[in-house]
Amino acid sequence: MAHFALDPVQALVRLQTELDRAIGRPLSGFGLAGASVYPAVNLFTDADGYVLRAEVPGIRPDQLGVQVESGQLTLSGERVAPEGKGSYHRRERHFGRFSRTLPLPSDADPERVEAQARNGVLTVRIHKLASAKPRQVAVKPA
Amino acid sequence: MSDQTLTPRDKQEVTDGEQVRPGRYYVPDVDIFEDADGLWVRADMPGVESDSVHVELHDGMLTVQGEVSLGAYSGLAPVYSEYRVGPFLRRFTLPERARFDADRIVATLVDGVLEVRVPRAEAAKPRRVPVASA
Repeated sequence: MAHFALDPVQALVRLQTELDRAIGRPLSGFGLAGASVYPAVNLFTDADGYVLRAEVPGIRPDQLGVQVESGQLTLSGERVAPEGKGSYHRRERHFGRFSRTLPLPSDADPERVEAQARNGVLTVRIHKLASAKPRQVAVKPA
Repeated sequence: MSDQTLTPRDKQEVTDGEQVRPGRYYVPDVDIFEDADGLWVRADMPGVESDSVHVELHDGMLTVQGEVSLGAYSGLAPVYSEYRVGPFLRRFTLPERARFDADRIVATLVDGVLEVRVPRAEAAKPRRVPVASA
């Protein structure tokens, strides 16, 4: 991923291309399987560890649950249908409960998992264990 | 509380007409319903900030568009992907344009859901006609 500034159009095309490459890619260690379970997730890495992202529009942050237990991460919640009287022309949005469990990667630190939701997108940051991070080894002159 | 369970759905790419900008647009899932006061449109647009939503009613055509903020992806390398990311775009032809008041459209964005209220024109509101007894 580029660290220099891209204009938004270039950045969008680049992100879409990179996501395309990552679609359906098997991932050892994270054991992600079953794209048929809500919510669909995207997984990213950076120097600190992992970032798991899921689109959960229409769910208030306080209706989202993120739980870490025995090396597993569970996302759960409920999307509640708004009330309203009237006749529907189109009805494409779905409502109900969900729960999805994903095994954490072996180098994840279960004590350091943070979650936040903004604009209907849930972001879970999973830090790597300090011991799993690359460490610079000083080379001494002989 | 609902006993229904949510299932994920693949995003559909916008295919009608060529966009000026490169990059793929996606079709937001929508609910549209009508009551005595007008039309409600609710569109799922996760990742869109309220300052990058565009709602327009022109010649009876309602356009909703939203750009996703890419700042949230800066410095991240995708390793596994189940859903695609991109701006949302959808257009609807409203039934009988004269029935709606384009000047009074109100749009709000909450938790990634765009809600557009298209009020009925005053003249088009159902009116109860008193029936005089003979």
